[in-house]
Amino acid sequence: MQPASLPIKTRSGIKCHVGIAVLCLLAATVFWASPRLVGWDVPQPPARVPSNVAWTAETISEASSGNALRGLLIARRCERCHGREGFSSSPVVPNIAGMNPLVVWKQLDDFRSGKRGSRAMQPIANALTGQDSADIAAYYAMMPVSPDPQDDRSFPQPLADPQHEAVAIRLITAGDGSRGIPPCQACHGPIGSVTGAPSLATQNASYLLDQIEAFANDIRSNDINLRMRTIARQLTEDERHALAESYGAGLGEQSGGTAGH
Amino acid sequence: MGSQTNPNSKSRFSLVSHSTDSPARKIPSRAVKWIRGALVTITLICVWLSVRFPYEVESGLEHWLNGPDRVNPQTLHLEGEFVESNLGAVEESGDVVVRMIAEQYLFVPQCVVVPAGVLVRLRITSADVVHKPTVENVAELKAVPGYVVEHHLQFPKPGQYQMPCREFCGPGHYAMRSFLTAVPLDRFRSLSREARMSCAAR
Repeated sequence: MQPASLPIKTRSGIKCHVGIAVLCLLAATVFWASPRLVGWDVPQPPARVPSNVAWTAETISEASSGNALRGLLIARRCERCHGREGFSSSPVVPNIAGMNPLVVWKQLDDFRSGKRGSRAMQPIANALTGQDSADIAAYYAMMPVSPDPQDDRSFPQPLADPQHEAVAIRLITAGDGSRGIPPCQACHGPIGSVTGAPSLATQNASYLLDQIEAFANDIRSNDINLRMRTIARQLTEDERHALAESYGAGLGEQSGGTAGH
Repeated sequence: MGSQTNPNSKSRFSLVSHSTDSPARKIPSRAVKWIRGALVTITLICVWLSVRFPYEVESGLEHWLNGPDRVNPQTLHLEGEFVESNLGAVEESGDVVVRMIAEQYLFVPQCVVVPAGVLVRLRITSADVVHKPTVENVAELKAVPGYVVEHHLQFPKPGQYQMPCREFCGPGHYAMRSFLTAVPLDRFRSLSREARMSCAAR
């Protein structure tokens, strides 16, 4: 009967081998995959946060629920630079009349947190609460952008170089697909909008040029997900001047049209 | 012989048929043979899959164990994998990983240097709507808000590959384009992280 027991042993041996092979395979898979699953091998460089503002539903409702009447009172401390009705007499100071409240609220928050540097604005913003920012934003959002003979706005300034108009209109309406530059009006209006992007239709030329240069040189870096830094870097010196001048001359609103290929 | 029945081997498994002639020699039933064959086949298929498609098996396992890779599209810049200091191409445990955000109407970083002839893991998510970055002759991808989508690309030879968006995403869609420059692997390794994100070379 001894030889008869041999096949039994052999058979259980095969079973054993298959079992061990399956176990080994499982173990190897888990061993090989686990560091990736746990995330051990993902290095963590120090995170750079461009802005503390994120456009979640709560933030948007907080920023857009200001009281314009209270804003009118607080805005008395803005009028020396930004003008009584949001139009500045100096071309290097931005016009904020008719601005989307989210834009003003975000910039004030960035000044307060130091994400956007400005020697003039940081102390002013530090003295404001989030509710104050929302109230000011609501007030300036109500201000009309139509011409007013009573304020001494510097806004429409003539083009320095008439050649610039064609360059700027092309970038504003169609962008430059070969360099991956989207049309300005797709985010800054009038044909499209992106949360937090300001309207540029009544913005001052010198202020715009300063900001494009600051974005391009990483001096200003409070744009969420690198949007404006990426675009400003791609613009040539001539294009930066052309865009700033054309918006400063009031051409941004008229260009309209559709984005071409 | 028929009278000497072994008590140990007597019908412990109903699947084993017993021969009255040689009770010690268990002949496996047809069902056992099929089960055993199936197990061996499945094992072989698993081995073949994990050798032939290691990345697919890995991401499949990940998906199975952790669920899909979720991110909050509104707070990409605040925390997690897609903060701006973490974007671009890096080498992580032997793999080249490129992290990118698609947003209206840009891919950031817009210019990325990648190695040619090597598998590149492109991890991409969207900050707003669905975008479809398309690398000519290489791949058509998808960037979905709320999810991290991982694509495995291989750039056949050094050169520039344009990656436009091929899904209408808004009025700026037609100008939405990024530029991937494939270079030999040793050249890729010699570049710094910043140099791998620069558009200056074009």
